[in-house]
This record gives sequence, C-alpha cells and structure tokens, in this order.
Amino acid sequence: MSSNSQIPNLKTLLGRGRGAGLRGRARGGPGASTESSEAVRDNAVRGTDQDAAGSRVSCVELGYLNDPYAKLFATQSSTRRLPLLNRGSYVRTTAIDLLVDRFLTTPTHGLKQIISLGAGTDTRYWRLHDKYPDTPLLYHELDFPANAASKLLSIQRHSELEDALGAPHFGLAGPQQSYHSFTYNLHALDLRILAATDTASLPDLPNLNPTANTLILSEMCLCYLQPEVVEKIIYTLTTHYLRSSTPTSLVLYEPIRPRDAFGRTMISNLATRNIHLPTLTKYPELADQRARLKEYDFGDGDGVVDTGFVWREWVSAEEKERVGQLEMLDEMEELELLLRHYCVCWGWRDGDENRNQERDGDGDLFRRAWEGVKGTNGG
Amino acid sequence: MSIGGSDLDRAITQLRACRPIPENQVRELCYKARELLIEEGNVVGVDAPVTICGDIHGQFHDLMELFRVGGDVPDTNYLFMGDFVDRGFYSLESFLLLLCLKVRYPDRITLIRGNHESRQITTVYGFYDECLRKYGSANVWRYCCEVFDYLALGALVTGAATTLDPTDGPIAENVNCELPDSDMDIEIETLNANGEIMFRYARNGDSQSSAASQANSNPASSSPIGPTPSRSGAAGTGATSSANGSTRNDTGAILCVHGGLSPLIDSIDKIRLLDRKQEVPHEGAMCDLLWSDPDEIDGWGLSPRGAGFLFGADIVKCFNYKNDLSLIARAHQLVMEGFKEMFDSTIVTVWSAPNYCYRCGNVAAILELGEDGSNAGYQRRSNGDRGGGGGGWILGSNAGPNGTNDENRRLSSVLGDSMQKPRDGPGRRYRVFEAAPQDSRGMPAKKPVADYFL
Repeated sequence: MSSNSQIPNLKTLLGRGRGAGLRGRARGGPGASTESSEAVRDNAVRGTDQDAAGSRVSCVELGYLNDPYAKLFATQSSTRRLPLLNRGSYVRTTAIDLLVDRFLTTPTHGLKQIISLGAGTDTRYWRLHDKYPDTPLLYHELDFPANAASKLLSIQRHSELEDALGAPHFGLAGPQQSYHSFTYNLHALDLRILAATDTASLPDLPNLNPTANTLILSEMCLCYLQPEVVEKIIYTLTTHYLRSSTPTSLVLYEPIRPRDAFGRTMISNLATRNIHLPTLTKYPELADQRARLKEYDFGDGDGVVDTGFVWREWVSAEEKERVGQLEMLDEMEELELLLRHYCVCWGWRDGDENRNQERDGDGDLFRRAWEGVKGTNGG
Repeated sequence: MSIGGSDLDRAITQLRACRPIPENQVRELCYKARELLIEEGNVVGVDAPVTICGDIHGQFHDLMELFRVGGDVPDTNYLFMGDFVDRGFYSLESFLLLLCLKVRYPDRITLIRGNHESRQITTVYGFYDECLRKYGSANVWRYCCEVFDYLALGALVTGAATTLDPTDGPIAENVNCELPDSDMDIEIETLNANGEIMFRYARNGDSQSSAASQANSNPASSSPIGPTPSRSGAAGTGATSSANGSTRNDTGAILCVHGGLSPLIDSIDKIRLLDRKQEVPHEGAMCDLLWSDPDEIDGWGLSPRGAGFLFGADIVKCFNYKNDLSLIARAHQLVMEGFKEMFDSTIVTVWSAPNYCYRCGNVAAILELGEDGSNAGYQRRSNGDRGGGGGGWILGSNAGPNGTNDENRRLSSVLGDSMQKPRDGPGRRYRVFEAAPQDSRGMPAKKPVADYFL
C-alpha cells in the first residue's frame, strides 16, 4: 500500500488521460497541458520516497545502519537491495548524520531547530530523539499532504513512534495531514507555495521558532524543483519564517556531474520514470554547489564533498572494515561511479545580531560544529 | 529426449530470439556441456585467430550486438572470459545461448569461468531469482551451476600475429589525423561498431592517429629526442602511457583469465594442477584467478572486493616473463572505454557489457588477435623513416637518442640485469560498440526500482 493509493491525486488521473504517461510526455507538445504533466512529475517525485524507505530497510536488515524505525514506515515488503546500493545508502545516511550530530553536540545557549524538507518516511527525528534525549530540539518536517498523511498513519499504528513525539499528543485520532507538538511538527504542504513573493499568502508554520539556531536539511528534495523556485523557498525560510539574525545553515544531498557518460545515462533513465532534476543542470559540479550556497546568503562558511569522498575520508578505518564485511561487494567500479555522482553540501550564516554582539555566543555555532569536517578543498 | 543435431539448432534459434528453452532441454544441454567441459583442462589451449570478450552479465541484446560487430559463431572463433550471468535481465538466455553454441561448435567457442559463475554470487546478483521467475523452480539454476563447476579457469592463446593486417575500411568521423602508413607494422587498431577506424598505432613508432591524438603539426618537435615523448593514443590503449611499444617480433602466448593473478600461482602449470570442479572457494588460488585486479601498486595488495588480491606491474611483468607470455587478457572490471591496457601493455582489461546495468553509460569492447600465418618468417624492416610526415618516430630505432627504453630498464630492475627483453605483444584490434538500441532490447515495462538514490 503506497501513500499514493491511499489518497488519489486527481491531477494525476487527468495527466494520464492526456497521454502524459511514461513515454508520451512531450514537453510543451500540443495538447499536453503544463498542469497535467506537472502532476505526473509530482506523483513520480512522491513515489521516490518509497524507494528511499525500501533502501533504508534493506540497509538496516543487513546491519549497515542501526535504525529500528525504518521498517515501521516502509509500505512495501522489504526487498534486499544490491550490495552496491546498500553501501551507497549507508554512505548517504552517514554523511548527513555526521553533520547533524555535530550540530546537535555543539554547545549553545539557544534552542536548536531542524527543518527537514521533503522528509517523507525519514526516521531521523526518532533516531535523534533516542540518541540525544537531553538535547532540546525542535523538529519540523515539510512534505506533500499525501506523504504527510501516510506518515501520520504509520505513526498512529506504532506506539513506539507516537510515544516519541512529545506532549501534547493532540489530534492523532482521525485521518489528518499535519501534526504539531513542541518537539515534532509535520507540516503538510507543497513546498512550492513557499516560493510566493507575497508574504500574505504564505501559510502559517506552527511552532516554527524564528530565532532558534536552525539547520535546514534537503536530502534529495530541492533537486526536483526549478532552481529559481528553490532560491525563493530558501529566501522565504531564511527571511520570513526565520529572522535574518538567526544562525542558520543548509545541508543539501543532491546528484551531481550530469555531463559525463554516467550522468547522461542517469538523466535519461530517470526521465523515463518522469523524474527530472533541474538543479543538476544548474549546479553540475562541486564548485557550482558551493557557489550556490553563497547565492542563498550562507556566506559565512561552507563545504562540499562527493559521497565517494565521504566513504574514503569521513568513514573511519574500523567502520570501513565492519561495513566491508557485511556483504561481498563485487561492484567496486560501479560503486565508485555512483558515489561520485552524489554530493553533500553545507553552508551557514552566523546571523547578524550575534555576529555583532556575541552576546549569547551562538553566532559561531556552525563554525564550531563543522570546522573540523573535511571538505574537498580542505576547508 | 536428447538435444543433439537439429534439436540443438532449434534451441539455438529459439534462444537467439531471446526465448528460454524448456526445462528438460536445459537439463539435457547442461549434461552435454558438462561432458564436453570435463575434457578440457583448467587452462584451455586456443589457437589464434580468436576474438576475446569480457563480461556479458545477462545483457542479451548487447550480446547480439557483440556478434553483429565481431561476426557470428562459427565464422568467428570466440573466447568469453566469464561473467555471463547476473545483473542484466536475460542471464538465462545469454548463458544458455553461449552454452548451446559451445555444444554445437566446441572448437569455435571457449568459455571460461568468471566470479559470477558461482552459486553464492548468483543468489545475490540476480541469476537465481531470474531462473525462479522464468521456470517456477530452482532446477534450471541448479543445472547451470553444475556446468559452472566444470568451466575452465583460463585459456592460453598461441599463434597470434605480432602485427595486424591494417583494416581496409573507412576512417571514422572525428578522426582527422593521418593514420600511420599501411606498410608499417600495425600493433593496435581500434574500430567502431561500423568497422570504421578510430585509432591506429604502429609498433615502435609514434606514428599513430586518433581523434585524441595531439596535433602533429610541428615537424621540429617530431624527433624522438623530446624528453618525454608524450603519446596520447586512443582511450584505453597503452599508447596513452609513456610505454614505448615493444621491440621484438615473436609474440609469446596470451593468458586469458577472468580476474587476474594469485600470489599462490607463479606458473601456468600451477593453474593446471588445481582441482577446479567445485564451487568457487572464498580464498585460495582458484578464487584469486577469478577475483583479483591489477592496480597501480608494488607487489600484492588487499582487494576492496573482499576476495582475491590487487597486483602491481612488477607482478605481471615477472609472471609474463617467467611464463613466456606477451600479454594477459582479463575482464572483471568495468572500464568506461571498453578496454584498458596497463603496465606497458602487459595486461589488458576487456569489458563487453555496454551501458552496464543499463546505468553506467560505458561502451564495450572485444579484442581480436590475428593469426601468425602470413607473417611467418617475418623479418623486421629497419628502413622505415616515415619520411616527411610529421610526428614519426624512426622505425626500429627504439633505443635511440631517448636512451634505452624505459620499459626495459624498469623491468630489469625487477628481474635482474640478466633478463631478456620482454616478448612483443600480439597485434591487437579492438572493436568498440555501444548498447543495443533501447527499443530492441525489450526492457521489462516495470523496471526494478532503486537504480539510483532517490
């Protein structure tokens, strides 16, 4: 049972009727309305979430990752993924965990907040809740209403998920799309509405703290949107929902290097699944990703690595040995290719007020958190 | 029922259409194949001419493309270096077709074992599931695995010519440089799928041409005196390195093996002594031959694959010298250009699965070795100044002002000064081809998910 079948998206049905199916989707072709082909794409993007969930379960079952919550969200029966993909999922999770862990373990005076974009079935909140029970953390997930509803359904079904949400438990009785507490918030919305320039039309995001030290996380999410839309979303988050004086950072996990043979094949393969990656074209290389963070005004520090680098340099020798023994991995060359085509990119702003006043000492939070993290340029 | 004669031809026809044959025919075929393979030694002797192929991995439609490009069986003599199954959607059809051809034309096709021809690996990488899906039981998988146990571990090609008869074909687009004169000794030629010449390299000369070739526009710098004669050959060939060809005109044998060498094996005779009729072990000589990789290291190293070893140039050169080999041909590693020569052309990786896993975007290659017939009693010519054409090294003056050639100096440090010069490599014609067109390959409508991280 997938989230899509629970809540049918009528727009999607429209699209199918007009030949906007797998093959027939011709961009701007006669008769194909933009709305319908967009709906097909949205549907495809939402479908990627179960891909990720299945990969996570496979990783957990084989011992790559310790995540008791993964299987509670997966709606498909688990299929064992190839060793190559398990290793890749492991590297991806490890990379983001490292940045998030450092953020959470760095001492601050103020509250910490994470905004996870397109979170889908991600289990990070529960894992962090277990790992750092004493760290005050305000967690927000933003996703399509269909994905959010499906996630809440899973939470309702499993008390170990619900118990971690923090009081007050209100309104988990009937079917719904959003959830709010003082630790965990799931906001059901199409991210693109945050791109609105008219602030009056922006939705209310309950419990989002405009001054808490904030890490914004996009793990394979913003890459599905048009670059100018992404820019506006980030602008809205960092200036409207957060005060521009708030220390804020952005962590991205995205595909890169679309121009080589592997990259070209990736683009055409995903296109047959109606998945398009506009930011991949706009920010093809590591340096482009890094420059992009500066454009978003995260100018106080940044770093970028491809996930091959993460495996080589971020994973300890002991951990490499442990992971290496989990499965015999025959696909070394392929794995290297695959890992080269994803990157983790991070950047931050110290926040104006703090930088000037150094009053509560959180201005350099992200510098302290991430200064030791090895980037491709050593920075 | 038996699968001989016309039954076999019918099975071949059916498999060529990518349709599986009935289970009882598979059983019969596998029984016949085992009878045949049990007679082969661990190292099969193969006479040139032969076309050497690398990994296929169930990419049936690309295997058909390979036959189109390389010629059909039995017209072309083939040697497949293993990894017929797993990963692709049509392992069953690919392997059974090759097996049928082996039974039908035993002297025109040689199959050796890859690391995927194993019970353990095929349960992880797809062949087991495919058999289960296509037959409803694991019987066919079991029959095939019994055949795997009988496949040879290597092949030894003898009688290969040191030079190629230049292909009398059109020159591929994008190649705008002059090819070496056709009366020169052609060591390497690369052709595309249409038989058009992409690259040609003359032995001992710098006279080569390719799309990637540097512009030989400055005659003044064309003498061999330059401090580092940079030779930018076609991707994959040893001509991209500073290797300077080889100088002798009798080629040794060519060892073909799926993975590479083993620290437990210092001679081909030691391979012959192994008891191969078993599942591929997790360690030991037999495992190494199927799992190891060459790497830019000295000596031996641990393999990141968790089986086999990494081995360096010194290991290859010693082994080749000791065993009178001119070249090791192996598969096992994806190379984006389809083939890759390493260590001064003493070892080559051949990869024959284009756009591997329908994802990698690579091209594939096969390696043709010619027969040393027309060149019998051949004497090296030493008259060959290319005369006028820019960029020509003087033929036969390999140890010219540039000093004795580096390769030999390096090798002698490995083998001691008393060593002889290495054998000339065989003439090598690489045919490079791309994946069969998408619509011809009949991709399953519903592709398995998780091709990428989404």
